[in-house]
Amino acid sequence: MFSLWLGAYNQGLAYAGLALGVYLTLRVLNFADITVDGSFALGGGMAAVLITNNINPAVALIAAVLSGALAGCVTALIHTRLGVNDLFAGILTSTGLYSITLRLMDRSNIPLIGLDFGLDSDADWALALSLVVLGLIALLALLLATDLGLALRALGNNPTMARANGVSGAKGLTIGIALANGLVALAGGLVAFYQGFADVTMGLGSLILGLGAVIVGESICRPRTIPMALAAVVLGSILFRLMIAIALQLGLEPVDLKLVTALLLLGALTLGRLRLPGLADGGRRL
Amino acid sequence: MSLHIEGLAWGHSQPGGGWRQLFKDFNLECPTAQFLVVIGSNGSGKSTLLNLVAGTLPAQAGSLKLGERSLQKLSDYRRARWIGRVMQNPLDGTAPGLSIAENLRLAESRRHSPFRLQSLLGIHPNQADLRRYQELLESLGLPLADRVNTPIGQLSGGQRQTISLVMATLAEPQLLLLDEHTAALDPKAEALVMQLTERLVRRLGTTTLMVTHSLEQALNHGDRLLMLHEGQVVGDWSGADKAALSVASLRELYGSAKVQLSDV
Repeated sequence: MFSLWLGAYNQGLAYAGLALGVYLTLRVLNFADITVDGSFALGGGMAAVLITNNINPAVALIAAVLSGALAGCVTALIHTRLGVNDLFAGILTSTGLYSITLRLMDRSNIPLIGLDFGLDSDADWALALSLVVLGLIALLALLLATDLGLALRALGNNPTMARANGVSGAKGLTIGIALANGLVALAGGLVAFYQGFADVTMGLGSLILGLGAVIVGESICRPRTIPMALAAVVLGSILFRLMIAIALQLGLEPVDLKLVTALLLLGALTLGRLRLPGLADGGRRL
Repeated sequence: MSLHIEGLAWGHSQPGGGWRQLFKDFNLECPTAQFLVVIGSNGSGKSTLLNLVAGTLPAQAGSLKLGERSLQKLSDYRRARWIGRVMQNPLDGTAPGLSIAENLRLAESRRHSPFRLQSLLGIHPNQADLRRYQELLESLGLPLADRVNTPIGQLSGGQRQTISLVMATLAEPQLLLLDEHTAALDPKAEALVMQLTERLVRRLGTTTLMVTHSLEQALNHGDRLLMLHEGQVVGDWSGADKAALSVASLRELYGSAKVQLSDV
């Protein structure tokens, strides 16, 4: 039982960047960004390709972050410069990214079994992932408390007011979406390392997983401050993983996993709507 | 700073087809520190004029200058560094999810782009910011000093509009644009906001353009009164001429300009 908990904890932390990225776009910027489906796999693929070419894991992860940020920039530019609706801009980028990731990986799956990360047990992974994610929360909390963070939050909260106060919507969205997809690609890399392979389809449904984490975390913690909200989102990521682990433990077939994930999220959304008016209808509290 | 508008042109296509040229060769000189009130019926071009100056609408021709600075090539968010704006809807001027202090900080730091490296160097609003904002709100007689950490969304429309007004003047703008900023308020809140407007404009000596539908406001505030009709100046009063005006005489002018009085 303990190994189930620890496994879910590690997976939740590995996916935490995805949840934080979705929080950043959806809650802070008020931008529904589907790029994450593509940038998650891109991050996983990039990290896997580099590490199998004997590149240092940390460098591989940084490269993954940069590739994700670049993907985010593309979506932001399609949306802000070419005027394409946010959902379509994300779908365009993530569709294109599928081919790019496949080209990069050169095959649909790269196994990472046998690679030595210096982490021998799940407990070692738990420690390493905890440190990474705590660092991420601290960095993001600090960033969102600067003038830049304030501008991004204002932009998501009231774009008219933000512009009237000197904030360029195009620049703000580009920085925010790039940052979010960098986080998502980092999660892709960490997940590939932890599960021992990267797959070109690993990003499928990422947005829903991230959204699930955000909603579960917010429903349970009802955070009032930004650092609390970031921590809640990470907690949500862990709990969401745990729910899935328990479902698998209870005999759920992996084939049905996506369906059950969607149903879990539907439940969480409805629960959120019941407990937090305004959440399910796009209402904003931070 | 003085505002110079020369040869301004702007028109729009109409729903039923065709083109309506609202402004053609429109000129306006507004000297430094002048408080100019603009009236006119719906469709006369009052709000359009403010939007053209603010940059939220693109002028099709002409030159717009604030002092020696040319505005027409700058987008709205760039112009916002020197131009403060309060809009009609109290919901437009503030970010409801951010606290009073956070809204004020955003307004205060507008002289510089938030997307430069220096913006990452400090945490804001910090304790010193909070103290400064509390003192400011107290000095303006606003009972919000102890609520600087309250989300704006929890305030009433009148309170939100007072914060919008404080925000618009916080970075000491060279031009202040007020677009029917009391139209959505009840009479009590309207009186308070106008009192605050008068105090801020006089304290800072900011050149001000105020659009209003209230003839009482037009008579009681400002150094100069402008009446617009179909994108043209049909009345321009200041000093003794303005003091000699009455609500009745203004109503008569609205009538002679063949406009409907329903919105006066």
